[in-house]
Amino acid sequence: MNDTPPVVLVIDDEPQIRRFLRAGFDLEHFTVLEEETGEAGLRTATLRALDLIVLDLNLPDMDGAIVLERIRGWSKVPIIVLSVRASDDDKVRLLEAGADDYVVKPFSMPELLARARTALRRQARGTHGEPVIKVGPLSIDLAARAVLVDGVRVALSPKEYRLLQVLAQHAGNVVTHNILLREVWGARHMQNAHYLRILVRKLRRKIEQNPKEPRVLVSELGVGYRLASGSESD
Amino acid sequence: MPSYLKQFLRSPQGRSLTEQLVGNLLALLIVIAVTAVLITASFWLPIQHVMILYLIPVIVAALRWGSLAALLAGVLGLAASAFFFYEPIYDFRVHSPAHLVDMLMFITVAAITGWIAVTVRQAKMRAQAESLRDALIGSVSHELRTPLSAIVGSTSVLAQSTTVERDEHLSSLVRVVRNEAERLNGNIQNLLDATRISSDGIQPHWEWVDPEDIVSAALARKRPMLAGREVALAVADDLPLAYVDPSLIESALGQLIENAAKYSPANTPITVSALSSNDAIYIEVGDKGAGLAAGEASKIFERFYRSPRVAGVAGSGLGLWIARSLTQACGGRIKAFSAGEGHGTTVSIALPVRQQPASEEGDE
Repeated sequence: MNDTPPVVLVIDDEPQIRRFLRAGFDLEHFTVLEEETGEAGLRTATLRALDLIVLDLNLPDMDGAIVLERIRGWSKVPIIVLSVRASDDDKVRLLEAGADDYVVKPFSMPELLARARTALRRQARGTHGEPVIKVGPLSIDLAARAVLVDGVRVALSPKEYRLLQVLAQHAGNVVTHNILLREVWGARHMQNAHYLRILVRKLRRKIEQNPKEPRVLVSELGVGYRLASGSESD
Repeated sequence: MPSYLKQFLRSPQGRSLTEQLVGNLLALLIVIAVTAVLITASFWLPIQHVMILYLIPVIVAALRWGSLAALLAGVLGLAASAFFFYEPIYDFRVHSPAHLVDMLMFITVAAITGWIAVTVRQAKMRAQAESLRDALIGSVSHELRTPLSAIVGSTSVLAQSTTVERDEHLSSLVRVVRNEAERLNGNIQNLLDATRISSDGIQPHWEWVDPEDIVSAALARKRPMLAGREVALAVADDLPLAYVDPSLIESALGQLIENAAKYSPANTPITVSALSSNDAIYIEVGDKGAGLAAGEASKIFERFYRSPRVAGVAGSGLGLWIARSLTQACGGRIKAFSAGEGHGTTVSIALPVRQQPASEEGDE
């Protein structure tokens, strides 16, 4: 990343949670801003240039999901959602409303930092354009449409490549089943979740060292799939 | 009023005693009211078989105030009809055999309806107590989670600080706090699951899923708990897809993995396998631990059952019961096998193989 430290806005009404988030982000040289309510969070998000928002869903004045939607109305800043409500439906709804990732409370700081760095890296890639994505032994050259495992080119079917491409564009973050189905098969096939299962299985046979214990194309049960981020699989 | 009586009336038993007195009094009043209505009516109508009407106070009393008030209402009803309506009038004796049959019928019907009404009342009270208990557990669990998040998060930051990292004692203490907080979180999750199972039942979120994904997700989640244990993974090629709620089966499998790790020596391997037959997909977890005694294979799935041989290991007796409930909610079965005490245990989740969905054509 560049010289100026990334600015993160924490929106959470629990002071104890904010305290450890501040300490954790400080250790990693982030500049931390804090807000306790959705209103105040929205105001700060409009006034300051932010690199990341960590948003608690359970706010005293409004549902965190509404804060998320409002911010997405004008900004593409990466948003990671914190939640104690952990139902799969909720996660899917948040991701499709534009959250970059979610972390379920209780969580450890390294877990959150890994998600944060992934989201920041993706943001940077979006602006600078970085055609090659590496995950462990796998490298995906989006410009040349080439996929290599340990330097050896792998032949993929068009749908296999398309699936990998969508995941690579979000490398490190979860992509929901619905989004994958729409991007690979089109909106008419949103109900055919089993297409995705079978395609993922085929793709894993080609890109995973041990397809039974996937490390690259990871499943988030009930939610979607994630291409492990570079730092996690190194 | 003497002070001990006051104290008694304020105590829980005392309160129910007052309630009972009030109930009996109200039952008496209803009988009087019915009698008054009947007497008034008898000036205009040739009323013969009044007994049936005295069932009203019996049933009302049984539903509202319990068996004692119902009994009182029944006896009073009998007395009132004998005294006011059955020859000789204004005398408790009854001469006509028809009236005697009436009264016998009344006693039979009152006993049966009274008993049914009391059962209904008890069931209602039990249900109220249960829903109150579940609401309490639910909110308590949620209230526990928030401080727990602060503890887990703060210790994870502490663990990263260089001061702590350099000091062996400090870092081991931080690890203890972290691990125990995680364990507490697991217990709260079990409490929540148990509440969900017993209060409103489980509504599975059905979808087609690759059993491989369930196995790898459960293993990934339990990996920190396995702390370097050897896990032998054997997943068959080309397993059929399962139509279940993946999160529920993953939780159930997680319980099995956790149990295998808890109840077998740390230097022995755990096996996790997935295979299929024509009509079922089997996901199994095996350990080389204490095994099962005769008859334990089904007992271990009962709520709060804990084998006396594992008394030294902390546990609530909820885990396998939860695993079984979650599996059954998805139409699956769960079974335990053991070659006997000291020969390890294998627990198997069997999921039904359903008609596989039509696959898509052409993508090569």
